[in-house]
Amino acid sequence: MKKNSLTNEAVIHLARLAGLSLTEEEIKKYKRQLEETISYIDNLNELNTTNISPTSHAILLTNVFFKDGKKNERALNLGEVFQNTKNKENNYFKVKKIFDE
Amino acid sequence: MLLGKSLVSIFKLLNDKKISSKEVIDYFLKRIEKYNQKLNAYLTVNKSYKFKKDDKLRVPIAIKDNFCTKNIKTTASSKVLENFIPPYESTVTKRLLDASFFILGKTNLDAWAHGSSTETSDFGPTKNPWDLSRSPGGSSGGSAAVVSSYLAPAAIGSETAGSIRQPSAWSGIIGLKPTYGRVSRYGLIAMASSLDCPGPLTLTTEDAAFILKIIAGKDKFDATTVEFEVPDYFSKIKEKKKFIIGITEEYLEGVDDEIKEAFYQLIKILEKMGHQIKKIKLLSPKYAISVYTVIQRAEVSSNLARYDGLRYGNDRTFFGSEAKRRIMLGAYVLSYGYYDAYYKKAQKVRTLIIEDFKKVFKEVDLILAPTTPIPALKLGEFEKYPFFGEIMDILAEPAAISGICAISFPFGLTKKNNLPIGLQLMGRWFEEENILNLTYQIEKETDFLGVIKNGIKNYPD
Repeated sequence: MKKNSLTNEAVIHLARLAGLSLTEEEIKKYKRQLEETISYIDNLNELNTTNISPTSHAILLTNVFFKDGKKNERALNLGEVFQNTKNKENNYFKVKKIFDE
Repeated sequence: MLLGKSLVSIFKLLNDKKISSKEVIDYFLKRIEKYNQKLNAYLTVNKSYKFKKDDKLRVPIAIKDNFCTKNIKTTASSKVLENFIPPYESTVTKRLLDASFFILGKTNLDAWAHGSSTETSDFGPTKNPWDLSRSPGGSSGGSAAVVSSYLAPAAIGSETAGSIRQPSAWSGIIGLKPTYGRVSRYGLIAMASSLDCPGPLTLTTEDAAFILKIIAGKDKFDATTVEFEVPDYFSKIKEKKKFIIGITEEYLEGVDDEIKEAFYQLIKILEKMGHQIKKIKLLSPKYAISVYTVIQRAEVSSNLARYDGLRYGNDRTFFGSEAKRRIMLGAYVLSYGYYDAYYKKAQKVRTLIIEDFKKVFKEVDLILAPTTPIPALKLGEFEKYPFFGEIMDILAEPAAISGICAISFPFGLTKKNNLPIGLQLMGRWFEEENILNLTYQIEKETDFLGVIKNGIKNYPD
């Protein structure tokens, strides 16, 4: 197999992982475009990164904690929580069944 | 009377009671009525303001439609969120509202801010006010267009890698990307969380300094904001300072000749003004594109995982083509067997880029470079370029990857097509006052060669 090439199955697998459904046309298109991108980013291998540690954030980060029992200023009321959904029943979000009976 | 007035001068007029808030807001609403259809720059215009007798002072500003604004529709230019009404306010807009601003409207962007042209918006592309057949750049293309055509005195955008500076360059205005962590991301619809930075798009350097002072600073709702004190940028930019300015060949490779000419012209002016120009060496920006592509796609695939259409918004079949492509590449680089080869490798190269800037910033105070390799492309032309136009952000991406601050300002027009040219200054982490200071000096010395004023002339009252 050619370097940086993807199979149709690999593209379908990625789409399934990401919860996306693709048409035949899209599978073809994305396969070509993903291969193009993967070939470009190959240039990272021109740089030696032995003994270099990875950066996940450019700025030094520390954990932030809130004290227990403090008022949650960001809390939404029920009206606000549900104002953007159609999938509501008795103050619950309705979701698709995961288990069969 | 108001046409072309900076935000700071409008504040002054209001404070001196020379004009009322109602007059100012009505003035911009009228201009929007007149020109927005042509430009497709605002997605939502806020006509909800009720004027009362004892009215508080209110100054209008446009907000990119990926900032949650309480009770004002926020779409990120995606059909997934076409009817989304945020139940809370982003920190940036909250701070602006508290500082007497009025949200005039929400501006168009590439869907989810994925892109450099505003063409991937599910609600149609924004047109470049300088040439309606061209793209204003992106992703903050709507914000850039409303400022350059004066449908708002200033706007807020967001940048992940180029999304403030590139459209500012193409639309002929000022665009500031603050240091990562300087401005809160709370309520900004997340694209790549380790890179996203809100910032202002303005007509003057003073306005950029003025807005930054309001929106910057620690936010308890965003753990990535820093505790550092926020300087008084507005007075800091007026201090007389001389800088050592670095320039580098790596940022001129493949750059349009007319843009290079503008770059060298400014260098001569800066030397005359008493600044020192120093040649430096930096890693080629082509590596930043690769790092950005891997990291951004990876973070996109996890950030967009939340859109399931259950609690809000439409389901995942509503994602456009660009978002799907990015989500899938993200899933790929994070997946078993590729994580080390791509994601970890990119994070290591990110360290190299940061170290590279740290080294150079020991020798120089600021770095000057073009903002974009070419001026504004025609709408539809992006597809012809490799990598779907990502290459238009190549000169902006190293600063984004490393988190440093940078500002783009206009410097002349191309003779060929009469399009704005943008140059940028990059500065050390959390030294926004210095990039703003030199931009202010350049503005005072050259008036940006008249670009901003000439842009507005095409849009009379």
